[in-house]
Amino acid sequence: MDKQFMVSLLIIIASFALYIGIAVYNKARQTSEFYVANRGIPAMMNGMAIGADWMSAASFIGLAGTVMLLGYDGLAYIMGWTGGYLLLTFLLAPQLRKYGRYTVPEFIGDRFESHTARLIAAISTIIISFTYSIGQLSGSGVVISRLFEIDTKVGTMIGVVLIATYAAFGGMKGITWTQVAQYIILITAYLIPVIFMSLQISGNPLPWLSYGEVVAQLGEIDRELGITEYFTPFTNGTKWQFLALLFSLMAGTAGLPHVIVRFYTVSTMKAARWSGAWALLFIGFLYLSAPAYAAFSRFILMTKVVGSKISELPAWTTSWINTGKLSMADKNADGILQWSELVINKDIVVMATPEIANLGVFVIGLVAAGAMAAALSTAGGLLIAISSAFAHDIYYRVINPQASEEKRLKVARWTIILSTLIAGITALNPPGVITQIVAWAFALASGTFFPALLLGVWWKRANANGVIVGMIVGLVVTLSYIFTAKYGYFSIAGITDTGAGIFGAGSAFIANIIVSLSTAPASIKAQEEVINLRYPEQMTYKNGEVWIDGTV
Amino acid sequence: MKVISKEKAEAYFRERIRNTVIYLSIWAIVSFGVVLFAERLSSFSINGFPFHYFMGAQGAIVTFILLLFINAIISDRTDKKYGIDDKKGKRFNTGTTVDQ
Repeated sequence: MDKQFMVSLLIIIASFALYIGIAVYNKARQTSEFYVANRGIPAMMNGMAIGADWMSAASFIGLAGTVMLLGYDGLAYIMGWTGGYLLLTFLLAPQLRKYGRYTVPEFIGDRFESHTARLIAAISTIIISFTYSIGQLSGSGVVISRLFEIDTKVGTMIGVVLIATYAAFGGMKGITWTQVAQYIILITAYLIPVIFMSLQISGNPLPWLSYGEVVAQLGEIDRELGITEYFTPFTNGTKWQFLALLFSLMAGTAGLPHVIVRFYTVSTMKAARWSGAWALLFIGFLYLSAPAYAAFSRFILMTKVVGSKISELPAWTTSWINTGKLSMADKNADGILQWSELVINKDIVVMATPEIANLGVFVIGLVAAGAMAAALSTAGGLLIAISSAFAHDIYYRVINPQASEEKRLKVARWTIILSTLIAGITALNPPGVITQIVAWAFALASGTFFPALLLGVWWKRANANGVIVGMIVGLVVTLSYIFTAKYGYFSIAGITDTGAGIFGAGSAFIANIIVSLSTAPASIKAQEEVINLRYPEQMTYKNGEVWIDGTV
Repeated sequence: MKVISKEKAEAYFRERIRNTVIYLSIWAIVSFGVVLFAERLSSFSINGFPFHYFMGAQGAIVTFILLLFINAIISDRTDKKYGIDDKKGKRFNTGTTVDQ
């Protein structure tokens, strides 16, 4: 057991003790203040909590590596995962808040007055959250395998046990202050290495201002190596793939069930707008830093690691080679490492760079703790979304309405355990890198929920038949495009599996509109409820007239 | 509770929609628009970055954050103009409960 192992493990354990401590403290306090507690959470704190929920292993572990290896093409993830908040905050969150249901399948079931729609929404929630959680599990696998210097598969199995236990505690998810703590640890763990690297390379403590020059220098190095420049657009895919991926990530953000649920906990439409704004500000800190992280990592690899003698490579290389995610081969047998001889997996860039840059045991440990917080907190939320969709929306509302509370709880627990196990088995041989797996979840959300929610909130003519056909068409089109494009059977304009959402969403909108228009409109009550969503809570639409509370 | 005129309710809705359309147009230009013309925009640079890269890594994200805050502030003003009292808005969810 070396020093690094002990320091990393201690920081991880200390941070988890902090989250659990806050959760226990708040739970005790909340019961005593239960009846006076409906003050609501300040929008800023709620924004931070949304940030912690949102920033998963994909953002924390995967993003910088993706940008580092894809160059400009990786920025689709940066813009996509931030820009989606505008769709969510402008078009969906305040309206869903006013409608006032607790889960997305519940909104769809009630708005369209259909059990079938509720069932399809619940199944889509399960598929989306399940796909997403595979990414989280393989993320925790990367962290754990590096910690113990073991194969990623074994690391993933340990992660499965940890996440299942964490989710079984359940309650921790909803406690805003725990998430605020998680956000602070996460962002500190991410910013410190970027700031240190910025100081090391340019002497400027503000990475956001200093890495422009580094990007320009990377371009020069690439020219000398004879490869395309780092910032050249569309080298890893067509322009249409970039645009499709961008759309898919944005619309997916607005349709992800476990994110939308956060907006139900705010008190008003006004609070929903402010929470969305604060959330993106806090999320923005990480997304503005990820390309800097990427540029510095690439710069350090290209200038300090490449060119050294293979026999004299530092210790970090062996630790990462042991995880199976890094390989170097002296192809031309000159004893010196070349850029083309270094094969680095996208998922280890964030974790490995602090070691490569020699930032010290504490920073390396902190990054590991931040990554674990990101993977476990998001995975917890996803598993709760899966179990409530199954135990509440499917089992209780459709299969067995007479089920006792005890029985429903039991079903919920088993759902969590089984889905973690199945996701874990899938994650042992991850079908892609973390950002790619997560991108499928976004494609599925943009193909199913984005059209269903957008039309459900803004178009009173949308009816049950429309939404049922729309969601099924969206799901089938997205899933089949992901498979056919991934395995190379078929693709349009170079759009790959990750950009599948554009076809899913497009066909779902068309199907929903055509079927809605060719069948009978929804009930008067359902239509009035949709018009009502145009106005804030203080205004109510009833019998063709708008009523207002308070003084005019 | 009192009834307000149809014109006034309609005007409120129109104002909100107009603003949303403006914000989303800016959103589309800084993200999709810049990507669409990325090759042509790469010829000049900002702070060391080629312009298309700067927009993807920083410009678009900062614009998004600003748009969300501008929307929050302007929407509050619109609400005030139409006499909406934000202290009266808080309500409990009216829906069925999830027993988890």
